[in-house]
Amino acid sequence: MKILVVEDESKTGTYLKQGLSEAGFVVDLAGNGFDGLHLATSESYDLAVLDVMLPGIDGWQILQGIRRAGSDMPVLFLTARDQIEDRVKGLELGADDYLVKPFAFSELLARVRTLLRRGSKSKEADVLRAADLELDLLRRRATRGGRRIDLTAKEFALLELLLRRQGEVLPRSLIASQVWDMNFDSDTNVVEVAVRRLRAKIDDDFEVKLVRTVRGMGYVLDVPEGTA
Amino acid sequence: MKSVGRASITLRLTALFATVSTLVLLALGYLIGSTVEQHFVEQDIDVLSGKLDLTQRILEKARSRDDLLAVPQQLDDALVGHHGLSVVVALQDGELLFATSGAEFPDGLLSGGPVGDVAHPRAWRTARGTPMRGISASVPTGIAGMPKAVVGVATDITHHEQYLAGFRLTLWAFVAFAAVLSGLLGWLAVRRGLAPLQAMKREAENITAQRLHARLALDAVPVELVDLAVTLNAMLARLEDSFRRLSDFSSDLAHEFRTPISNLMTETQVMLSRTRSPDEYRDVLASNVEEYERLSRMIADMLFIAKAEDGRIVPTRETLELAPLVGDLVEFHRLAAEEKEVELTSEGEGAIQGDRLMIRRAISNLLSNAIRHTRIGGRVTVSIRRNGTCVEVDVTNIGETIASEHLPRLFDRFYRADPSRSGEGSHSGLGLAIVRSIVEAHGGQVVAFSAEGMTTFRLTFAR
Repeated sequence: MKILVVEDESKTGTYLKQGLSEAGFVVDLAGNGFDGLHLATSESYDLAVLDVMLPGIDGWQILQGIRRAGSDMPVLFLTARDQIEDRVKGLELGADDYLVKPFAFSELLARVRTLLRRGSKSKEADVLRAADLELDLLRRRATRGGRRIDLTAKEFALLELLLRRQGEVLPRSLIASQVWDMNFDSDTNVVEVAVRRLRAKIDDDFEVKLVRTVRGMGYVLDVPEGTA
Repeated sequence: MKSVGRASITLRLTALFATVSTLVLLALGYLIGSTVEQHFVEQDIDVLSGKLDLTQRILEKARSRDDLLAVPQQLDDALVGHHGLSVVVALQDGELLFATSGAEFPDGLLSGGPVGDVAHPRAWRTARGTPMRGISASVPTGIAGMPKAVVGVATDITHHEQYLAGFRLTLWAFVAFAAVLSGLLGWLAVRRGLAPLQAMKREAENITAQRLHARLALDAVPVELVDLAVTLNAMLARLEDSFRRLSDFSSDLAHEFRTPISNLMTETQVMLSRTRSPDEYRDVLASNVEEYERLSRMIADMLFIAKAEDGRIVPTRETLELAPLVGDLVEFHRLAAEEKEVELTSEGEGAIQGDRLMIRRAISNLLSNAIRHTRIGGRVTVSIRRNGTCVEVDVTNIGETIASEHLPRLFDRFYRADPSRSGEGSHSGLGLAIVRSIVEAHGGQVVAFSAEGMTTFRLTFAR
């Protein structure tokens, strides 16, 4: 997957490139609007991350250039201003998502993956699996090692989210928004509690722990290396 | 060209005053002049009609042609000593029976046409330039069957005209002088009248950012300016309040940022002072991220509050059924409540107009605040109630009673009733300030009361 990052702040640009590269993407970085627009229209990318405020040509103009060139690649905006007008303008011009600075890198990564997934409507599996954990979406049933695990509706939704995005570190804000539809910063520890309880049910009695806390980033469900 | 609003008040008032007094004086001068002239005309009419009557009587006494021949002599005798008087008697056939020497009458007055009206004499000038005023009348003679004679009487009005010209000159000179004088007086009066404004200006000049507590003295201000002074003082009070809040805010901000930044710096420097294992580095980075997240959330919250105070947060308006909205929030917070064995319930219903995301955020902040401050095993209740034209949402928790002096300040940024709890966990100290910003942006209000171990935060919205 190839991503174009247009960001004039060199420190931000460098860490975005490093972070996305280490997450497995191929990243091109442009430091100004002209280079950005040139790359966006001459090369082929799966997604573009654009800063709004850029020297030369701003993010909006790059987006217009991309859409005029007939490309419908997903575009994620980074903006320092959380103005409603900016949001409305971005959406009118065909932006797919936006993030307000300062943002958590895990949040950006999660959004990028969501946008990339949106394009490729992968087959909807009825049963999600990780190691010996199985989540049957149709029958609303969870089992581990063949043992039935009782989950509340929210625990089920949380586990489904973690399983669907196996290996991705999910920030608390994303979990709160996807599972409880809480789309604002909250200073409660609800997500921590929910993850802890889920762990108690699916991990505590088992040798292989699937759900991990990544300090400062969020939570991830993955199968540790060396296990089947 | 200067706009009216910028022109000097002194200049405008002086010009107005001078114009008005000049107009009044001019009208008065004209009136006096005409009255004096009219008086002279009436005097002349008196004299002229007297002479006309005399002539008429003499003519009426003439019973025959011979009597008629004696008339000139009689008239001469009667008119002797009347300087400047001209009398002419013309018979019907144009024959001039009598004329004083040098008598000169304008054509229309004697021959043909209707004879002059006694009340409206005519004025003219003779060939030598002497101004005259005269009247004429048809007068019957004593001779039966004889047509009426025409009698013209005129008087020299040189004297009157000279007097009038002198009088007018004096009058207009006086008017001009009085107009200039009143303009000058007006200017002085306006200057004096505006002096209190100058005084206010000097007082205002002394008010600076350091002296915002100063106010304009009301007792030294004339009645007309009291309103202005009161308004200015109210403005100063608002400015002082905003200024104080702003400077409090800056110092709060510096204080709130100092702790996490200093933690980050110390921690990182200690880590860098020698080589560590990757696990140690990972630990410190993760701990740093937690601090950064706190700072970043604080910045976002501060921006939100700043925008709200600026009136730049405009909530969308949709009908919000509060019962399901609160239900979702209660479900979200239940996990945190259960951790503390806190019972979390909601009751009642009501609908308001508002922004779903913002209202959820406000009530969510109240819930997390209530759960945080409830003791283990306590209870948090949300109750929604219609009250007249309002809808009230109460979030009540059992916990320590908050002293009443803290209650109104709970909604201030970074205010914590218990100073020892500052910096606790990820709690930014801005949650309740955001609640107030949101509620006020919706035109509602938020109050807190606390008694006997029960603390309630009440949001009031118009329906």
